Amino acid sequence: MAIDMELEVVLRPHQYEMPPYPPKVITLANGKKMVVRQAEREDVPAILKSVHPCLFIERDYYDIVSARLYGELLAWYRYRVKSEYVIMGQVDGFLVGIVNGRMETEKIGMSYHTLAIDRGLRIGSHLFAAKMEYHLEYLNQEEVLIVAESPIGFRRWMIEYPLEPTKIPHELGGGDSYLLTREIYFKAKPRLVVGERPVPADLWEVATREIKFADDDTIREQIAGLKGR
Amino acid sequence: MKKKDIEIVAYKCKKCGKLHFPFHDRCMECKSREFEPVKPQGDVRLLTFTRIYNLPWGFDARYLIIGVGEFENGVRAMGRIDVDESYPLKTGMTLKPVWAPVRVKYGENVYGLMFEPKG
Amino acid sequence: MGVGMIPFGRRDEDSLMDMLAWAGLKALDDAGLGDGGVDALYVANMGSGIIQHQTSVASALVDRLSLLPAGAESIENGPASGASAIKNGLLAIASGYYDTVLVVGGEKMREVTGWRATDFVATMTHPTAEYVYGITLPGLAGMFTRLYMEKYGVTREMLVSISIKNQAMGTLNPYAHVEMALSKDGIFDDPAAIVNNPPAADPLHLYDACPVSDGAAAVVLTALDKVKKPSKPPVVIAGFGQATDTHTLQERADPTDLKAVTLAAQQAFERAKLKPTDIHVAELHDAFTILEIAESEHVGFFKKGEGGKAALAGKTKLGGQIPINLSGGLKARGHPVGATGVAQVVDIVWQLRHELPKERQVKNAQNGLTVNFGGFGNNVLAFVLRRVQE
Repeated sequence: MAIDMELEVVLRPHQYEMPPYPPKVITLANGKKMVVRQAEREDVPAILKSVHPCLFIERDYYDIVSARLYGELLAWYRYRVKSEYVIMGQVDGFLVGIVNGRMETEKIGMSYHTLAIDRGLRIGSHLFAAKMEYHLEYLNQEEVLIVAESPIGFRRWMIEYPLEPTKIPHELGGGDSYLLTREIYFKAKPRLVVGERPVPADLWEVATREIKFADDDTIREQIAGLKGR
Repeated sequence: MKKKDIEIVAYKCKKCGKLHFPFHDRCMECKSREFEPVKPQGDVRLLTFTRIYNLPWGFDARYLIIGVGEFENGVRAMGRIDVDESYPLKTGMTLKPVWAPVRVKYGENVYGLMFEPKG
Repeated sequence: MGVGMIPFGRRDEDSLMDMLAWAGLKALDDAGLGDGGVDALYVANMGSGIIQHQTSVASALVDRLSLLPAGAESIENGPASGASAIKNGLLAIASGYYDTVLVVGGEKMREVTGWRATDFVATMTHPTAEYVYGITLPGLAGMFTRLYMEKYGVTREMLVSISIKNQAMGTLNPYAHVEMALSKDGIFDDPAAIVNNPPAADPLHLYDACPVSDGAAAVVLTALDKVKKPSKPPVVIAGFGQATDTHTLQERADPTDLKAVTLAAQQAFERAKLKPTDIHVAELHDAFTILEIAESEHVGFFKKGEGGKAALAGKTKLGGQIPINLSGGLKARGHPVGATGVAQVVDIVWQLRHELPKERQVKNAQNGLTVNFGGFGNNVLAFVLRRVQE
């Protein structure tokens, strides 16, 4: 597809300076190690392969979360969104979860979505916490706006942090946003934000060599419930 | 909102003296059916407690702290403990009982027993 | 005479009646009654009126399974509904009035959110002295665990060993809800355990509690002297026991003393003319890991205060002194409340028939025990089952 760079300058939004997210490793309940690292734009076409089967899973609102995430990832890839980031979780190289968000302003972040591909291991909780860590400790923001499509998200974020309700509308027309402030984050951090840095070399090598993706049937089965791990 | 008068009534068997709360139609010891009402008296010794993080429907909170206490006159009852999750609760400690809203049902406060730190 | 169950788990596509019917058919087929009838049907279920807004499920099931005009009753005894239904079936046959009965236990709890499921289970508690405060069954278990730890020195490590043992067994059980092995590192030692295994009702943590499940199980009971040529080794309920205790925890003189468990087990052993040391395999009610420890002591497998140490030492694993919950228990097999008591019996029958794969089968098991714990120990049933010698 031919791209007119003069037009791109007009169509592409401003990008804030975003320091990288330092990768970490988290031990999961089954003893496996999840490497949590920031994705590159170039990773998006491959990531979309794991998101795609989720578009057709109604259970736990996977369809709407992955539909919106799909659009956000594509927008990032095609330079049509302001200052977006994507953080991934990988176990043995396999993609097990994705979270994303963006900088609304220098000081206010917006949490986009959290998609856990492997379930029953609190991957969503860990990755959501990682992105809050990114906003408040590495991007040095003051607060993050957060919404939830699913009752599970509502329980893990709005109730467990807990977040402050606001009257700020949801970007896509859903329920009003909630707010995570620095104060709430640092108070909740000891019980919700974990992980060790740096990532041991052997785990890093596996994670960065290749982002592996389970096949569609495996992804559907994993999202359908805790089976065979 | 908080009341000093604890609206709990325990029941002492007129025949053998066994104390009951909640109500039983027959004495647990001697099966007699005559009781005299007894109000819980004094402070509460905390027998056991827990911090519950997975709440039932109907509560707008991150956690609840619930305990079972024994009043100075022997009445035992469950109540909510009105402290933060980091408060160093210990079994055996003394708490003050009050009667306060413990939940909201159909928009109205429901009162119950609450234990507070002394002093 | 026949047993059957369907895999427990989150079964969004299946209705409660579907699950009850399928489990019932499996048991009927196993009993060789695939196109036959029974004298009566007992259905164990606690929540259909609240969750599914459907009552009289036994009357619905007897019709759905075309078992008319058999007698049918729904039995509700909280989490002990399953064992209560089996007890009623057993008494019906022992009375001589009935020859063959079908007992089906089932529950569909995942139809509602976790908050509502927690609230539904909490309706067992005393309405004004307990429920009003927002107490939950995990909350009662948390309070009990605190006292048990203080009195008997039970440690979190002992509880974690039960979670790990039972979830490991769950990975070997195709009927289990949870088929995921846990690592001690991930749920206890590592700093990430605070997120992986957070407090649920302290001192109990997430992995100390069973999941909320959908599922159903069934048994066909018949009088032994009516069985002419059994196609499978017959297993009898050699003894049963049931006992009750105070509704509220506060009215127990010593809340760590699970009197109803002790009495129910004693009755079952006396009636079966067996002792705890005669038991080769047990299914205990581990809705919370502390209960597996406490019940193992109260039924007489270990002295009070020794159950936790025994678990830590591996004495309750396959190959140990007394294997407990080789199905994965409620912890991993799952706990659809009405189904559990029936599923425990199904698992023991499989053990005593020697039908299980070797990684779950106790070699030459002859006698088994089940304990089904209703309320928070205020209504408990125990069965001693025995393989009939040829």
